[in-house]
Amino acid sequence: MEDRRIQERPPDAPPVDRKVAVALSGITKRFGDFVAVDDLNLDIYEGEFFSLLGPSGCGKTTTLRMIAGFEEPGEGEISVAGQPVQGVPPYRRPVNTVFQSYAIFPHLNVFDNVAFGLRRAGVKGEELRQRVTRACKMVQLQGFEKRKPRMLSGGQQQRVALARALVNRPKVLLLDEPLGALDLKLRKEMQLELKNLQHEVGITFIYVTHDQEEALTMSDRIAVMNEGVVQQVADPATLYERPRNRFVANFIGQTNLFSGTVESVNGEKVTLVVPDGAKVEAVAQDGAEPEPGSEVHVAVRPEKVRFGAAGDNVCTAEVRQIVYLGVSTQYITWLPDGRKLALYQQNIQDAGGYDVGDEVTVSWDARNCLVLGG
Amino acid sequence: MGEKGKGWSLGLAALLGPAAFWLGVFFLLPLLLILAYSFGTSGIYGGLTLGFNPSNYLKVFDPLYLEITVRTLVIAFINTLLCLALGYPLAYFIALRGGRWKTALLILVMVPFWTSLLIRAYAWVVILGGNGIANRTLQFLGITDGPISLIFTPQAVLMGMVYSYLPFMILPLYATLERFDTSLKEAAHDLGAGRWHAFWRVTFPLSMPGVIAGSILVFIPSAGEFVIPNLLGGSQTVLLGNLIQQQFLNARDWAFGSALAVMLAVLLLGAIMFYVRRIGTEKLGGV
Ligand SMILES: Nc1ncnc2c1ncn2[C@@H]1O[C@H](COP(=O)(O)OP(=O)(O)O)[C@@H](O)[C@H]1O
Ligand SMILES: [Mg+2]
Repeated sequence: MEDRRIQERPPDAPPVDRKVAVALSGITKRFGDFVAVDDLNLDIYEGEFFSLLGPSGCGKTTTLRMIAGFEEPGEGEISVAGQPVQGVPPYRRPVNTVFQSYAIFPHLNVFDNVAFGLRRAGVKGEELRQRVTRACKMVQLQGFEKRKPRMLSGGQQQRVALARALVNRPKVLLLDEPLGALDLKLRKEMQLELKNLQHEVGITFIYVTHDQEEALTMSDRIAVMNEGVVQQVADPATLYERPRNRFVANFIGQTNLFSGTVESVNGEKVTLVVPDGAKVEAVAQDGAEPEPGSEVHVAVRPEKVRFGAAGDNVCTAEVRQIVYLGVSTQYITWLPDGRKLALYQQNIQDAGGYDVGDEVTVSWDARNCLVLGG
Repeated sequence: MGEKGKGWSLGLAALLGPAAFWLGVFFLLPLLLILAYSFGTSGIYGGLTLGFNPSNYLKVFDPLYLEITVRTLVIAFINTLLCLALGYPLAYFIALRGGRWKTALLILVMVPFWTSLLIRAYAWVVILGGNGIANRTLQFLGITDGPISLIFTPQAVLMGMVYSYLPFMILPLYATLERFDTSLKEAAHDLGAGRWHAFWRVTFPLSMPGVIAGSILVFIPSAGEFVIPNLLGGSQTVLLGNLIQQQFLNARDWAFGSALAVMLAVLLLGAIMFYVRRIGTEKLGGV
């Protein structure tokens, strides 16, 4: 499954030569006194699979609706394909949306749903028929053209919504939690399919989701949002390996967090003292230099912690809980001062038999232990 | 299975019984009676002998009465169109833009129901009459020199009808539009449809159930209306309702009155079936 995350483009290749499909600069949106989106700055590149990720209510849909033209930002400017779109109504923007509720026209059959946008654009006759048929085929709906939406399953309706948007060849496709209503298995299938489809058509996708796993598997880049504020914009690997702050570290995957006081800083290396007096070796974020004496948080991923004493940070702990996960086993251990530390061990052969209550030595390397900002 | 089915159907009978009885006694029976009368023969001084006398129906096709029938249908049709044209925007506004005022606005629509139709029709007489408010205002503003005939015209009848039947159009329209999923409108805009197209291709077709229900609720009673034409219409605007009323109350020709009533019922049934077939299945299919 992990193979799916194979990068189509090298993640750290600077996207200097790529054109910006959607530029959001200084976007703020208020509903009354409530700030739904706060000073948002994003450049989304052509052909990119870009995700907006964050918990429910963090302003993802609002951001998408501003790009589509259903909401006007209070402050800031949005450009699509280099053109400012302020005041341009939704029906004149070169974007299409796959709505969270699908919003399929219930009185039209699949063909007429998919043909809706083309007809508005003046496409007629044979070309119309061909393009609609091709779009239906692309989402595996051939043969369903005469069906009414109510005779389709959730997954099929989802495909209609997708075909109806893609058939117009928009510059940018906006997708608002399009897989949210599907069951897990279908969702996994559709994730793959969507990703392939995006690759095929080469259209910029802006994908909204609250599911971090979904965002990680599908996206070229992800903007993690919380309470209307972008926390970090990065490719999936960077987000996972180098979360900028506690929110991102917690939201993406599982993590062990410690807080402590910075004792010394030596270039990238940071030594801090945790409340029980033990020392933890960690590394600072790129470019960040923690002040000695300041309070900071550090994070280490459970799979970067191992049994044994071979590491920069070594401590003893007591095994409290063992969860068998198939490919790996999760151990929840308690450090002497009562803090929890989770670690994963790969289930290679039948290694590592620890039991609840065992005293164990655990260790991790400084380079896997990141000082978090904010 | 048999036992269970029996119990269930007994329960069903108990539930449906009262309503079925009510309809049977107070609706079906009078209707059958009217049907029987329509083939009877009226005596010269009233009274009626049952039998099979088709002459009542032949009389219905007398040009004089035919003209009244056509006029009735035309006025009912125009009334329905006017109610739709006036009621749709209002229902749309209340349902989709009403916000927290929805209920209040809806109650305002129903305010006319709080007084009887007769009183409301008389109010129009007061307003439109020769010495009424409307005429006096026109003279005061110098638009007219003397009283003009506002009342006792087909226009006055229509005005009264639209006023009386507008709520019957608004309420079903509101009920459908209230359930309208506005994200469908947004989807239409998203796919390049401006306001006009979004309305005619998405909003309006999806509100067809309300349009049909409202049109039927307005058309049927306005085709049988007799109070409003009685008070606001002159001799030029006698409608079928008035004619039937006259046959029963003044002319005492119950047989002919019944024939007229049966014909009106058949006409209305035919019109509704035609309407629902044409517009209904075309636009409603699949909703
Ligand atoms: N039209 C609106 N009026 C008032 N508040 C709104 C409106 N739309 C969204 N909000 C609020 O803005 C916040 C962000 O909403 P949304 O963008 O839908 O979040 P998300 O899609 O990330 O779950 C929520 O707290 C929501 O209640
Ligand atoms: Mg949302």
